[in-house]
Amino acid sequence: MIAFYCLAVVLIASAVFTISQKSPVYSVVGLLVNFITLAAFYVTLDAEFLGVIQIVVYSGAILMLFVFVIALLSSGIGPFTEGPNRLPRVLLPAVLTTLIAFGFVAYGALHAPMGALPAHVATSTLGPVGSANVFGSTADFGVALFTTQLLPFEVTAFVLMVAVIGVVLIAGDAVPQTTRGSHAKRRKRRTVQEREPIVKVSRS
Amino acid sequence: MNGLLLVWLLPLGGAILCWAFGPQLGRRAGALGSAVVLVAFVRACMLFGDATGPTGVHQTLVTWVPGFTFGLWLDPLSLLWTLIITGVGGLIHVYSIGYMWSDKAIARFFAYMNFFVFAMLTLVLSDNIVGLLVGWGLVGLASYFLIGFWFYKPAAVAAAKKAFVINVFGDIGIMFAVFALFAATSSISFSDIFAKAGTLSSGLLVAVCVGLFIGAAAKSAQVPLHTWLPDAMEGPTPVSALIHAATMVTAGVYLVARFAPLYSLSPPVQEGVAVIGALTMVMGALLGVAQWDIKRILAYSTMSQIGYMIMGVGVGAYQAGVLHFFTHAFFKAQLFLTAGLIIHALHDEQDVRKMGGLFERMPFAFWAMLIGTLAIIGFPYSSGYFSKDAVIYGALQHGHPVLYIAGILTAGLTAYYMFRMIFLTFFGPYRGDADAAEGGHGADHGGHAPSWLMQLPVAILIVPTIFAGFVDFHSGDAPSRWQLFFGTLFNVSNNVAGPVWPIPQTASSMIVLVVVAAGLYVAYLRYGTPAAQLASVDRLIAETKAMPLALRRAFFFDDAIDFAIVKPARLLGGAISNFVDPHVIDAAVRDLVWIAGALGVVFRKLQTGLVRGYALTIVIGAAVFIAYFALLGAAR
Amino acid sequence: MDVDISNYVALSAVMFFIGVTGVIVRRNPLIALMAIELMLNAANLALVAFARAWVNNAGHIFVFLVITVAAAEAAIGLAIVVAAFRRAKAVDVDEVARLRG
Repeated sequence: MIAFYCLAVVLIASAVFTISQKSPVYSVVGLLVNFITLAAFYVTLDAEFLGVIQIVVYSGAILMLFVFVIALLSSGIGPFTEGPNRLPRVLLPAVLTTLIAFGFVAYGALHAPMGALPAHVATSTLGPVGSANVFGSTADFGVALFTTQLLPFEVTAFVLMVAVIGVVLIAGDAVPQTTRGSHAKRRKRRTVQEREPIVKVSRS
Repeated sequence: MNGLLLVWLLPLGGAILCWAFGPQLGRRAGALGSAVVLVAFVRACMLFGDATGPTGVHQTLVTWVPGFTFGLWLDPLSLLWTLIITGVGGLIHVYSIGYMWSDKAIARFFAYMNFFVFAMLTLVLSDNIVGLLVGWGLVGLASYFLIGFWFYKPAAVAAAKKAFVINVFGDIGIMFAVFALFAATSSISFSDIFAKAGTLSSGLLVAVCVGLFIGAAAKSAQVPLHTWLPDAMEGPTPVSALIHAATMVTAGVYLVARFAPLYSLSPPVQEGVAVIGALTMVMGALLGVAQWDIKRILAYSTMSQIGYMIMGVGVGAYQAGVLHFFTHAFFKAQLFLTAGLIIHALHDEQDVRKMGGLFERMPFAFWAMLIGTLAIIGFPYSSGYFSKDAVIYGALQHGHPVLYIAGILTAGLTAYYMFRMIFLTFFGPYRGDADAAEGGHGADHGGHAPSWLMQLPVAILIVPTIFAGFVDFHSGDAPSRWQLFFGTLFNVSNNVAGPVWPIPQTASSMIVLVVVAAGLYVAYLRYGTPAAQLASVDRLIAETKAMPLALRRAFFFDDAIDFAIVKPARLLGGAISNFVDPHVIDAAVRDLVWIAGALGVVFRKLQTGLVRGYALTIVIGAAVFIAYFALLGAAR
Repeated sequence: MDVDISNYVALSAVMFFIGVTGVIVRRNPLIALMAIELMLNAANLALVAFARAWVNNAGHIFVFLVITVAAAEAAIGLAIVVAAFRRAKAVDVDEVARLRG
């Protein structure tokens, strides 16, 4: 109980911290705290494997990706944005809307009855780490992943491959677009158009 | 193939062939068209025996739904009309080959003529009211085609439109009657309707008979729907002969005769029919006196003679009225064809004031026209004599003394204006232009038709013109062949009590002859005496000037219709096209377009391209969804 | 489970809507992406809580998949940011509005 509330406070505080910082590096740190707290939550919910995965993948890989990108983009410390704010004074409406939505969610959560628990809950073993029949253990997770949930597993692999290809295509060394080359192309196109007007637009 | 089907469809086949292969056929279309109609005539003659049998010849075409059976029926009435249409029509087709010899569109002409024959056959051969209505409409269409055949003449186009519009007016009447009959009897065939005729309410009967007669009046040029007939003379003369003399304008007579069972059950409508017929009879004769165009004289004469026929079937003397149709077809066709000979010879001159002295130049035309004229005035023992006497005496017999006197007087008028035409055309000095005097056709005329093509049909028609009346010849009380031909078809009217005034038929004929002779004598005095002939040019100029306004303007019927109907219609059309069309209808479309554009402008403001804005919108939508499921989804 | 499930649902919702606010309010694309990660993790929390409540490890598998897809999406999102940064010196979410109507 106490653990829940302490962790909840940290979770929310770090989330607010993340979105409210001017510097992205501070936001990344806030996000890191958020993820670790989440991992703690998972452990308290008997999902040990997931807790570890959370730390390894999320905070270890994804956040590192964020950090690398911040480092890549030169203005990583100072203000990042230029240009006018095209949606000014949007904080209040956004907060109001989210509060309203949250209110409905809370109402629904409180008033929606949770159905009868399945029979095996009472008899399931929530025991020490390691055994295969223990809920949330690595072995249990692994058995499920490679037998009953094999298809999602394979599809996920495909998704990751697509992501890799996409990243290489988007951010990789693509066809060099030197300004000279593109200008030359544009000049050529113009003269061709000037030489042969194809369509006469008539006002009728 | 069944004979009746062949008779009906052969002209249609001819029309289609002439239409489709016109350019290739050229003048041969004339031979094709004529052959088709004459073969139909022969085949119809072969069906004579079966048609006069107890049930006639029946040919079912198609049964659509029960109560809607389309078919053909050849009974004595339709047989008579069929023989006239194909027989006289065939002769006129042959004549047309000569008349239209140098016309470039000769194939189209014969297509239209064959189409007309087919349409008229549809009208008379149908055994149901719907088929009759179809034929009725098609005949009006054929008339429009043929009147406006020379479509580059504005007068012809106007006349065709006038004829069609007035016919449409009549179509409303007959359509109403057809629909009412079907609604009342749930069947369209004549046999069913006539069987149930007694069960129809008298109000319905009156309405139906009036509706039918409105259609008949329009088609047969009865007052007040007669104004299209004189103008229809803009068409070629064979057209006037076939359609506006012998067959189409008699469709009204056929209609009243066919619906005799219904008319005999509503005496007031019959009275009305007879009165209108008599009115037309008198008015046509009066106007015929004042005409200078040879074809218009004959047109008004046709109007008057059909008035006789309508009066005949109106008083209940069906056999007399139909007999007059029979004889009139022959002599009127012959008169028109002869007039065509004259017009052709004088290089399209139609004004009688410019004719004269043709007695030596065209003897054949003179004798033909004389014989036709003697028939139409009722010279003793000519065909017209029998039929006119039957109609006039029939009026007396069925209790209409006033109509009787009107018939006699009109006979006198008929004699007057017909002989006026003869004297002005054939006697006295020639009053026309010099180049028409030499026969008209120079070397550059482009070939001329062999003259036998036009003279032979006229010659053939002389025979029935003289002798056709004898079918009604009977001695004493024995029934004539005519009465035997019709059998019990018209035994529907039963008010033949006896003549109103006790005048035997022979005495009545004498009275008619006296009046006719008087008319002839007056015409002779005015136009036929040698003194009158010598001074004809001056006298005609004087007569033209002195013509009363009422006669010149055809009793102002055209003016009245123009004022009451045409002008308001034009105003309404102008108002709609100048105001309603651009400001109401176009405005509606413009407004729709404007609304679409305005909506577009509004919705375009949503497309800001801002991701954050889109995110906010998504959240708002999500909030709505969550609200729904939170509040209502729980109670599923 | 010593805490009722509704607490976890509420917590997950709070974290989710904090993430939503972050997406709407911030103009820096990197912060926006981080807020998106917040949202995904909020969903994960709810999933794990329910998996524990029903003692069904399908929830765990689902979380596994979500983490994987989030990783892929973060990678591609950052690649887009890098590519956009190559063209313009600074990147602002509001400037990338070529799809405006």
